Amino acid sequence: MYVLEVKNLTKSFGGLVAVNNVSFQVDEGEIVGIIGPNGAGKTTLFNLITGFLKPDFGKVLLKGEDITGLPPYKIANKGLVRTFQIVRPFRHLPTIANVLVSLQSYRGRRRIEWIKTPERKAMEMLEDVGLSDMALEPAENLSHGDLKRLEIARAMALEPEIVLLDEPFGGLNPVETEYMVKSIQRMHLDGHTMVIVEHKLHALMKLVKRVLVMHNGEIIAEGTPKEIAKNKKVIEVYLGKVV
Amino acid sequence: MQTVPIARYFRKIYTNIATHIYDRPPRTLAFLIIIMLSILPYSGMDLIKLEILISANLIAILAASWDLLVGRTGQISLGHALFFGLGAYTTALFIKYLGWPFWITIPISVIVGAGVALTIGIPCLRLKGPYLALVTMAFPLALQGFLYYYRDIFGGETGIGLPKIFPGLRFFDRIVANYYLSLALLVLSSIIIYKIATSKTGIIFISILDDEIGAKACAINTTKYKLMSLAISGLFGSLAGAFYGHIVSGSANPRLFVDTTALMPMEFSLIPIIAAVLGGVGTIYGPIVGVYIYQILYRYILRDVITFNIFGYIVTVDRHMQLFIFISFIVLLIVKWPRGVARAIVEKLEDLEEPRELEEILKEKTESKQM
Repeated sequence: MYVLEVKNLTKSFGGLVAVNNVSFQVDEGEIVGIIGPNGAGKTTLFNLITGFLKPDFGKVLLKGEDITGLPPYKIANKGLVRTFQIVRPFRHLPTIANVLVSLQSYRGRRRIEWIKTPERKAMEMLEDVGLSDMALEPAENLSHGDLKRLEIARAMALEPEIVLLDEPFGGLNPVETEYMVKSIQRMHLDGHTMVIVEHKLHALMKLVKRVLVMHNGEIIAEGTPKEIAKNKKVIEVYLGKVV
Repeated sequence: MQTVPIARYFRKIYTNIATHIYDRPPRTLAFLIIIMLSILPYSGMDLIKLEILISANLIAILAASWDLLVGRTGQISLGHALFFGLGAYTTALFIKYLGWPFWITIPISVIVGAGVALTIGIPCLRLKGPYLALVTMAFPLALQGFLYYYRDIFGGETGIGLPKIFPGLRFFDRIVANYYLSLALLVLSSIIIYKIATSKTGIIFISILDDEIGAKACAINTTKYKLMSLAISGLFGSLAGAFYGHIVSGSANPRLFVDTTALMPMEFSLIPIIAAVLGGVGTIYGPIVGVYIYQILYRYILRDVITFNIFGYIVTVDRHMQLFIFISFIVLLIVKWPRGVARAIVEKLEDLEEPRELEEILKEKTESKQM
């Protein structure tokens, strides 16, 4: 059984079809990359899968269970967790309390030790992404790179079945990107399933074994990073047609 | 003793407070203030002036409950007088038509307050920002019309008279008794509200204030928590209103919702807002301090007509001019301390305290859990 199965997902805003008949599957323990030029519909696709938008047509199955059209918090409680392209920290709260919010949810309270000392669990999540020194610092004092890592810590605190990362390297400098790649690799080794939307192809190609290419709301190519790099259609989409 | 700066004195008693995670208050300072307030009737002050503090105590509960909803959860309410008036009217109706004693009707009005909060919250909390603010402002205004229309039941402009809580006591004794009752209510309610605001539920409230979509992505049912915040807020708002009706105004009347004849027409909707901005939005203790500043200035300093004799010229300042001066003064305070007077003081104290290591706090927490 697939962890995540998307069937014929379609969404249009007025006349514009943002996501058009998209279908794909993600296996247990796999990392899948989704690339595509700006406006290809990648973030809309994420919003449809995680319930922030209702699809016009199509289905989303999480471990065989239909989760189409459920509210976002229910989907997250079932184990499908996302991060955002534009960071959404809780600015008034200390960094550790940002993670504690996740641990107060239904899913974050599954285990008795998480309920008893959520602070300890939150601290472990921060250590995983290298933010433990900033634990008591208000989130508004964190740099952009730190906030990106905080987003990941917050998502991982829910112990998800699958994580959707929306541009995890967006706005990071090369050193931070390298660190992030290592964090994601470590999460992958721990057996987490992930879907990554990314523009920085260089960093992404190091991580994933399978890439989907989106253009104008449709998936135009699928394959290993090497295949994708040679695909004529993909080159055309990114660089334009040879006249 | 005079050579020791006050700040250094506080530092000593303040060292072992505060885990940063849940934003603890300077408890000792609060404790000192409560002791000061509780010995006030025996300090030889004019007991008539205690009535100002009685109403300040009760309105402070309203302001603290407003702050839990607006300052902590980010759901703007411009019509908190709704709960205030509702509390007073519920107890008044039960006493007038069923003849029940007040100690039964007050819990009922508290439940009614929370119930109405939930009922209006389910449709209204879908709205955000200014739209929610406008809708909440409309409720007390609309209810006033309702009360005038059913004049026979609700008593029109004069409202329904409410019995005194301590009928057996003589005038001054009653004032002192009322003062202690209102102070006890304020201390109890503000402790409960503060405990909620700094609990684990409280950090979810703040997460909704900061970023509702982010909270949803953290698997939080934001609607549930917004309703919870509104219900708690309505509960304490109507508690304050019910006691205000019994102790201060002596009746449940439409002025508790909207006072069209007063200098400030929407007084009980506006005071929580002014007080919160004055004391510090989102601190819970800030609005309480703010109400005290407001009430003391407004009720004590404002007189009918004040005449000055400046170098032979006689200057009269009437109530409208006094209100203008009063509001200007409040604006000045806000400009000087934009994040609130009370918050500025507490932050000064927090700067003095040496931050504790997280390890230490965690250790303390696990030890207390095991015990």
